[in-house]
Amino acid sequence: MGERKISRVTVEVTVNGRRQSAELEPRVTLADFLRVELGLTGTHLGCEHGVCGACTVLLDGRAVRSCIMLAVQATGHEVTTIEALANEGELHPLQQAFVDKHGLQCGFCTPGFIMAAAELLERDPDPSEQALLETLGGQVCRCTGYEAIIESVRDAAEKLRQRGVGPLGLLAAALEKKAAPSGNGGGE
Amino acid sequence: MSSRIPNSLEELPVSEIRWIGKGVERLEDPSLVTGRTEFIDNVVLPGMLHCAILRSTYAHARIVSIDSSAAEEMEGVYAVITGRDAARLTNPATTAPEGWGAYCLAHEKTRFVGEPMVAVAATSRYLAEDALELIIVEYEELPVVANAQAALAADAALLFEEHGSNVMLQRKFTWGEVDSAFDQADLVVSDDYRWNRLGANPMETFGCVVDWNPADDMLTCRGSFQSQSYMGLARSLVLGLPSNQVRMISHPHGGSFGGKGGFRGVDICALLSKAASGRPVKWIEDRLEYLLAGAGQSWDREYTLQLALKKDGTVTGLRVKLLDDMGGTAEAFGAVSAAKPLAAFTGCYAIQAAEYDLTLVATNKVPQSPYRGMGPPPHNWVLEQTMDKAARELGLDPAEIRRRNYIPADAFPYTIASGNEYDSGNYEAALDALLDMADYQKLCAERDSAQAEGRLLGLGLVNTIEPGVFDWNAYAIVGLESTGVPEGITVAIDVMGRITARLGFSLEGQGQYTLVAQVLADYFAVTPADVSIVYQDSLSAPPHFGPGGSRLGVAITGAALGAAHLLERKLARVAAVLLQCGPDDVELMDGFLRVRAMPEAKMHFAEVAGAMLARSDLLPEDIDPQPQATYVWTAPGRTPADEQGRAKSYLTAANACHLVKVEVDPDTGTVDILGYWLVDDCGTRLNPVTVEGQTMGGIAQGVGAALLEEYVYDESAQPLTSSFMDYLLPSVYEVPRVEKKALTTPSPFTPLGAKGCGEGAMHTTPAAIMCAINDALSPLGLSAREVPASPRRLWKLLHENAD
Ligand code: FES
Ligand code: FES
Repeated sequence: MGERKISRVTVEVTVNGRRQSAELEPRVTLADFLRVELGLTGTHLGCEHGVCGACTVLLDGRAVRSCIMLAVQATGHEVTTIEALANEGELHPLQQAFVDKHGLQCGFCTPGFIMAAAELLERDPDPSEQALLETLGGQVCRCTGYEAIIESVRDAAEKLRQRGVGPLGLLAAALEKKAAPSGNGGGE
Repeated sequence: MSSRIPNSLEELPVSEIRWIGKGVERLEDPSLVTGRTEFIDNVVLPGMLHCAILRSTYAHARIVSIDSSAAEEMEGVYAVITGRDAARLTNPATTAPEGWGAYCLAHEKTRFVGEPMVAVAATSRYLAEDALELIIVEYEELPVVANAQAALAADAALLFEEHGSNVMLQRKFTWGEVDSAFDQADLVVSDDYRWNRLGANPMETFGCVVDWNPADDMLTCRGSFQSQSYMGLARSLVLGLPSNQVRMISHPHGGSFGGKGGFRGVDICALLSKAASGRPVKWIEDRLEYLLAGAGQSWDREYTLQLALKKDGTVTGLRVKLLDDMGGTAEAFGAVSAAKPLAAFTGCYAIQAAEYDLTLVATNKVPQSPYRGMGPPPHNWVLEQTMDKAARELGLDPAEIRRRNYIPADAFPYTIASGNEYDSGNYEAALDALLDMADYQKLCAERDSAQAEGRLLGLGLVNTIEPGVFDWNAYAIVGLESTGVPEGITVAIDVMGRITARLGFSLEGQGQYTLVAQVLADYFAVTPADVSIVYQDSLSAPPHFGPGGSRLGVAITGAALGAAHLLERKLARVAAVLLQCGPDDVELMDGFLRVRAMPEAKMHFAEVAGAMLARSDLLPEDIDPQPQATYVWTAPGRTPADEQGRAKSYLTAANACHLVKVEVDPDTGTVDILGYWLVDDCGTRLNPVTVEGQTMGGIAQGVGAALLEEYVYDESAQPLTSSFMDYLLPSVYEVPRVEKKALTTPSPFTPLGAKGCGEGAMHTTPAAIMCAINDALSPLGLSAREVPASPRRLWKLLHENAD
């Protein structure tokens, strides 16, 4: 008894622009890897069986449910979580829109909604009602009754269109800035 | 110390109200939208272990043996506990009604599928769950009590042998001359109804991290507690600890709606921590656990409702008979939901004779918990649907029969038959505003022509009361007899003139911290951003209860204003010394302490506070030099319940009138909501944006209740709804867009005239949708009397009755 050998695998993923590697049991979910190993607790777990969408993150820009994906399946891919969105204290337009339009109450579902909306607006900056419903239909919110969430995503879409940039484009720009060599070697 | 709490905005010490009543941006939001909020599952403590719970697979069984030896020896496992440990070290849960509680782990027998049997603490949740697989429990099956009717059978198995019956409570309450109202009625209308189990399902389940320090016997519980003080007191009783050795630290939580629960989880983690020499133990309930046996099951009811009417549609008597299936124990206070209808028993109507024939029984289902609305939503449904039936029989329009029975606007405060007092309201105005907004005449014409074409299109028009600001006395009939619920806030000014409010509840989404900041910002003429809200644990905060029973918005407004006023008086005394005048000559206005007769002689409150903090040596000795004050608010004028359960209980009575247009698809039994209009009146709206948010959230849950959500059990009380694939929550597709209008009839009894509004539309939406469905079915002579009106149920109704 007590001699349970559990194998380990190496997981190598880029998370929010940073390369991460870890030795994990193969059964560890992507959500647990992000939350427990990396401390990225903004990704929430509402059901752990793929229905509620609270755990939504982006994998190479596509929305996935991190609760029903294993960490090892993300090897070699790029993961983006809610933590990547705000830039030095400045909220991402999607985040700002949720604040402005009261698109959240308890906020537990919100990171998932924002990540799902980010994928949608990246691919479709001016989504039809149908496209919006299709994306948001996969996310559950128990507090808001959705009306304000729809308004929030619409508002963000409009602001992003005005700025002529997609939600992930904005992110990539911010990440690049952070990744740029520090110090005073910027050289004019 | 008593304080003067402004009843209206005009009484605040500012020349212009800048924040209260406005849709102020929520302080809570930046942290939430960036994923930074400390939900309980984020908490990691040094040496923390993880709990997993083995649960009963039988609905009713004797425990013959438990072999957990292999689990105990597993590497990474630090503690394994069973019902024996619970029976040795703890008391059974305190319950209402009393005496129907169990230990946190099943001892000797199990009463429902999913009841905790054995708990393990290991270095990870993965390992703890592995260990559960090594535990062998031998059961001896007992006969199962699968539903309320079965519980009443003469030969029913007993859940609690010592009671000799499964009846937890059986009593008839009579208010007024009920028999004579029915004897003298021109018409008696009656129907039977069934409301099936459903429940809260907040997006975050319950979680806790508990450590029981062996050195000082101090129990520290972190968790997503809806009411930390209440939870802490209950733990001290169950675990046999003095109340001041139980420290509850509440974390922001991802929704609650009354159904967060977690009593057993905390007790189990406490025992595991004790067994593991005081290491902290974390348990995060997963969704399958929540659906199986969490605090998410409420209202499992069979109703008979009778109305006595005069020919003109006046209702003279009301009889409600309720049989409610409480499940295996009374540990989760679900019985409160059967008592709360007393707070608004007759709805918006002036019915002075009423009777409540109440039976609560134990069965082998999960114990009932509270859920948003706490019981009135099914009560409102059966009352409103029977009103429609009466209207049909009398040939009256649903709007007209309601209008004829309203409590008139000039009759407030009004005491209803079941004893509660409604503070204010104008129901007819709400009805008229709604009919006007929705163009009711046109809708009726449209409905008539659709029905003439054979379409199943219907309108539902209902009105309800939302009792606000609960008091325990509302639940006296199920054994919770006390009166008064405190909420305290400390307001302090620091040396830089910034304001901090300290209080004892954590966030669960309704924007309460923002509300406190709004109130204090207007009182001291600063901005909400100048106010910090600091949460304090149960042993540090002023007396508190927290959210529940639509009370917190009103309660914290009272507490914040009360504390601000006390602080103002302190500041005025000091300012009087500094300005060399009498303390009664000084007043606060627009942030300045000024001499009444000489308004140009003034000091900003920050200056006065600064003097108190830095130069107390200059102040007379009898002045307390701390620029801070605490006020504990509780609803005024509450009365203990009489022998018929009558009390002034809930302080406020908000009202709402909803109109829904639905169409039933005869081929599939699905219901489409084609239009939704509402007018509501919850007095002064302190933050209209958050009030609207509560309304919309309540509508969504009401849609779920009416059409989707149901915990299904089979005939051996095995649950069949074990995931979100079976238990259906409303999505963006099902929740309608709503046209809304607000009326404002301020409460004469509350700070600033606000009324409780947190449960909102949950009181009204299920009834409105059911009435609309029944209007749609009425040409076929059919009636839907079971909730949820799921596609399967409606399809059966349509097809089994088709000729
Ligand atoms: S937590 Fe992943 S879908 Fe619900
Ligand atoms: S805001 Fe609470 S679940 Fe969406």
